Amino acid sequence: MATPSVNTASAGAAVIAAAARTKEERAGKYLAFHLGPEEFGIQVLKVREIMGIQEITAVPHTPLHTKGVINLRGKVIPVVDLRLKFSMEEAEYTQRTCIIVTEVGGENGTMLIGAVVDGVSEVLNLSAADIEDTPDFGGEVATSGLLGMAKVKGKVKILLDIDHVMTHQDLKELGQLLH
Amino acid sequence: MDIQAEALLDQAATQLMMGEQADTVAALAALGEVMQSPEALELAAELRGLVESGWDDAEKQGRVQRGLDRLRTMLSAVDGQAVPAQSSALNQDPELVGDFVLEAREHLQTVESGLLVLEKEPSNPDVLNAVFRSFHTIKGLAGFLEFGAIQALAHEVETILDLARTGQLLMTPRLIDLTLESSDYVGQEVHRIEAQLRGEAASAPTDGTALLKRVRGVIAGEEMAASPIESKPVAVAEAAAVEATVVEATKSEVAVAAVEVGSTVKAKTRVAAADTQAIRVDTAKLDYLLDMVGEMVIAESMVRLDPELAGNKNPKLQRNLNQLRRVTEEVQKVAMATRLIPVGTLFQRVNRLVRDTSRKAGKMAEVELVGEDTQLDKTIIEELSDPIMHMVRNSIDHGIERPEERRESGKPESGTIQLKAYRQADHIQIEIADDGRGLNQAKILSKARERGVIAENAQLAESEIFQLIFEPGFSTADKVTDISGRGVGMDVVKKQIQKLRGKIDIHSTPGKGTTFYLKLPMTLAIVEGLVVGVGRERLILPIFSVHEMFRPAEGQVSTVQGRGEMVMVRNQLLPLIRLHRSLGLRARNEIPEETLLIVAETEGRRFVLMVDEFIGKQEVVIKSLGESLRNTRGIAGGAILGDGRVGLILDLAAIYSERNAKAVVLRESVLVAC
Repeated sequence: MATPSVNTASAGAAVIAAAARTKEERAGKYLAFHLGPEEFGIQVLKVREIMGIQEITAVPHTPLHTKGVINLRGKVIPVVDLRLKFSMEEAEYTQRTCIIVTEVGGENGTMLIGAVVDGVSEVLNLSAADIEDTPDFGGEVATSGLLGMAKVKGKVKILLDIDHVMTHQDLKELGQLLH
Repeated sequence: MDIQAEALLDQAATQLMMGEQADTVAALAALGEVMQSPEALELAAELRGLVESGWDDAEKQGRVQRGLDRLRTMLSAVDGQAVPAQSSALNQDPELVGDFVLEAREHLQTVESGLLVLEKEPSNPDVLNAVFRSFHTIKGLAGFLEFGAIQALAHEVETILDLARTGQLLMTPRLIDLTLESSDYVGQEVHRIEAQLRGEAASAPTDGTALLKRVRGVIAGEEMAASPIESKPVAVAEAAAVEATVVEATKSEVAVAAVEVGSTVKAKTRVAAADTQAIRVDTAKLDYLLDMVGEMVIAESMVRLDPELAGNKNPKLQRNLNQLRRVTEEVQKVAMATRLIPVGTLFQRVNRLVRDTSRKAGKMAEVELVGEDTQLDKTIIEELSDPIMHMVRNSIDHGIERPEERRESGKPESGTIQLKAYRQADHIQIEIADDGRGLNQAKILSKARERGVIAENAQLAESEIFQLIFEPGFSTADKVTDISGRGVGMDVVKKQIQKLRGKIDIHSTPGKGTTFYLKLPMTLAIVEGLVVGVGRERLILPIFSVHEMFRPAEGQVSTVQGRGEMVMVRNQLLPLIRLHRSLGLRARNEIPEETLLIVAETEGRRFVLMVDEFIGKQEVVIKSLGESLRNTRGIAGGAILGDGRVGLILDLAAIYSERNAKAVVLRESVLVAC
């Protein structure tokens, strides 16, 4: 009879440990970029490389935010416009527009997806204390897709869970948050 | 293993050696009390009986000794089966387990082909040794990685083979069946381990205890009366001859069989020798190499075609550039060839299939393999396995007649299935031929009418009639057997072949046999493409589905009520698809006379595609668009064009069927409007 109680105790400990770990895990280096006035960050570990904007081959019958495909040194990878993904206004591509090649989890291992952003600014070193949990925006605004918020030099940066952002179609709520 | 049981076992063995009857019995009795498995209990009791019943007999002592050994493996096997999925090696050392999977597969293949040779030549020492060694290696590896079930079975089979090797046992067909069954079991387990390794949900291990028991029965000399050899090789040869040809074998036939076997064995050893000079490379690495080589080719052509360099007349530079081009081409060719493997690995499996299927169907058939060295892309060979197996099964079930029927029509009793592979221009041809009764045209026709596949009064050419067997739900077998005849299959075969961008044809002569001709590309990685421009995009059509292209004359395009736009091409009215519309692109030109029309064909249907311009012909490496875009309608993949940009490869079948779906909707809406 002793065994089950031990189990629950250890399970409880595990949950606490996991929560603590996520907090610890969120700390680290983030690549900061912006879409219009909003500042974002994604974990550097998820970034494969950053490249200037180049010609994108459009693919028919795909969602609007999927701009098409590009050639990444012999590999064909899809490119998503993050502005459109978050239902923000479309913007002309300029010299500063970048494609961040991210490595996200797919059905079979990881896959590469490019993200078009207005520009990248810096790599931030965030400690666990810099990161706050996503505030409760009220019932309608879902916060999956967000890792949290970081306050750096008086500005708030939205930390994206890029795995979630890239692998989920419907991010309307996230878009609402940005408006 | 249980420590207590182990100690008792040791004790029993020592007492037995020292000849202490009473103590041996006591040890065995104690052993019986600590063991849980009923099987082991039974064995221990039996051994006790043996020891009690008498003692002096040396043979009996040997039997007890062997029994104890078996008890020992049984105990360790019980251990292994109690924790089959939790082999710690799976988590700790996935690489090692991966190696085990590969190696075990290779050995199982050796075992299988070896056993088929043994069937004709039961005491061939080389083959017996090879099979024995394979099982031995599997056992060793499995033991090391703690796959108890595999280890236990391999150990027992190894014992059988050892007995056969030392001439104490003859490999009768039943024994060979049992060994094959065991190798199948090991194969299944290996497959399961592989699935676990990939992180898939672990399926329950197949229960091998029944099989294990039967194998053990053989070793103990029960159940199967294994014929001991009475040191008369002549008798063995006779037995072999009877087994090989089953009925009234003439001497010459035996000789022929022996010669054939000899040659296949020789071929085996040659293959084995070639294997040692190969190294295993991760396919991901290989794919990366191919990607990089592709990039190198593009970079090279960009450099070579750079206007500034082209204008430079420096002969030394030009010479060096030419050298670079030659080397690049060579590297590309070699890199492409790394994915090619001989078709022989696939053919070997047919041997086994023919053996099993013909026996089940009560028929006799031999396999003839030609061109096993022909090379094909690994993926194609893998994807080809099911269709070929299906066709061979069909050939035996429907094609080859029963022995008595064959004798009556003056054919040899044993039918022949011939598999032939050879290279023809830029593709590979595979033929699957049987010398059976051939396809019955009348029967196919009546069946097709009955099923409503064709109209009552349709007139069809011979080749068209044969193609009917690829229609879904078509089967002419009078009765359904468990081999084939349910009419699922030939349509799947055709689909599969088409998926591999191949073609399938049939030739058949009544009473003489049927031959399937498969025409396949050498590799799936490369396709000869026609690059066309639509709007701002460049699209690639696979050239094998393009018939011709032309600029239409005025009035050649017309609208037919209810069927959309049609084009008159060589007195044939073909449907027109404006490519920009089905892909949602903006065309440069909407007037038919100023566009380019391409006549294409997929799945036997012709249609016309409208594009803006023709850009060129190019061999392109097909690439996936990645997980998220993989299933995009109308797009088969991407390819990197000469300037480094991505072009989309069209899936013409999807584009055509979508157009049809639209036409239907259109017609319905017209009806509603009326």
